[in-house]
Amino acid sequence: MDIAENPVHPQARTHAEEEVLSALVSQYAGTLYRVAFSVLRNPADAEDAVQEAFIRVLRHRDTLGEVRDQRVWLIRIVWNIVLDRKRRAKTRPETDDVSELARVLPAGGLTAEQIACAAQHHAHVLACVDQLPAKERQVLMLSAFEELTSVEIAEVLAITESSVRSRLFRARNLMADLLNHSRSLR
Amino acid sequence: MNPNPLAPDSASGALSGSAEETLRLIASLPAPQGLEDRIHAGLRAAEHAEPHRARILAWPPALRPGRNWVHGAALRSAAAAAIVCVVAGGGWGIYARVQQHRPSSAVTLPAHPAASGGFSNAGAMRVPQTLNGPMLIHPLTAVQTPAKAPARNARKPLHHELPNAAGKAAAQAATK
Repeated sequence: MDIAENPVHPQARTHAEEEVLSALVSQYAGTLYRVAFSVLRNPADAEDAVQEAFIRVLRHRDTLGEVRDQRVWLIRIVWNIVLDRKRRAKTRPETDDVSELARVLPAGGLTAEQIACAAQHHAHVLACVDQLPAKERQVLMLSAFEELTSVEIAEVLAITESSVRSRLFRARNLMADLLNHSRSLR
Repeated sequence: MNPNPLAPDSASGALSGSAEETLRLIASLPAPQGLEDRIHAGLRAAEHAEPHRARILAWPPALRPGRNWVHGAALRSAAAAAIVCVVAGGGWGIYARVQQHRPSSAVTLPAHPAASGGFSNAGAMRVPQTLNGPMLIHPLTAVQTPAKAPARNARKPLHHELPNAAGKAAAQAATK
């Protein structure tokens, strides 16, 4: 840790903190948005969650210098926010995932019918993901992000790396069972 | 997907490719246009709307966390030591004061109930019910009444006079 020998002027310090915060927004806003959207599956809610995460960072900007890995720290903040929002949203009527996905997912060179079929398929997969136990579901969703290694997922979820691997193994098997079961019903 | 944690090995590769594709698609969605600008605007608004810090109990600038922490830590340590001294001194004062009035170590045992097997009175004492006497409004004053002088015309009983019945009996006896 750097020891400030000379007292720093408060205004200069505030200015430096604002610059650090601005750099964090530019660098990690997209990542945080994707993490939030993977849980909330609503663009507006995901953006609100990212906004709330950075406001929390603003309130605790004094401790920015003590953060070891700012990316994992930010992901952990937004992860807790979206889980809390998801928990509260259970009391509200669920939004139509299929239409929302059809609107959000990229549709390069696809017809409207193909887009609708793809959206329906993705919604079905996500519905199977929602049926997983919470621990396995969280690991599976975080592992879909290319930016996160298993060590970083363990840091975000505050568990060990071996737990991440075992939960991921169980999640994959459960997911396969759910998909096979739904196929057999068709 | 991340090749390190998500690479489907032979044991856990049961997850179908389409499901992985869905998760990967969700995880790689591009951020909406203007997201950073909106976040910056929101942060500026939040900074202006940030409530003022407490003025009465706020940390002095030298003690605020993250600022001049070397001096701040020393001052905080001194303040903590002072608080400990005050608390310990107060506790010792109370202890010393209570110790002076410590009751004697001898403990009086309650009287045992009667060993004869009867009911005991449990230490109760009978207090006779007394009546409330008249209240004296004026205080008593010692009044000395003078001794009565014998009246002059008071008739002294004669020793030869007899009561009526006794006199009659005596007269009858005399006539006989």
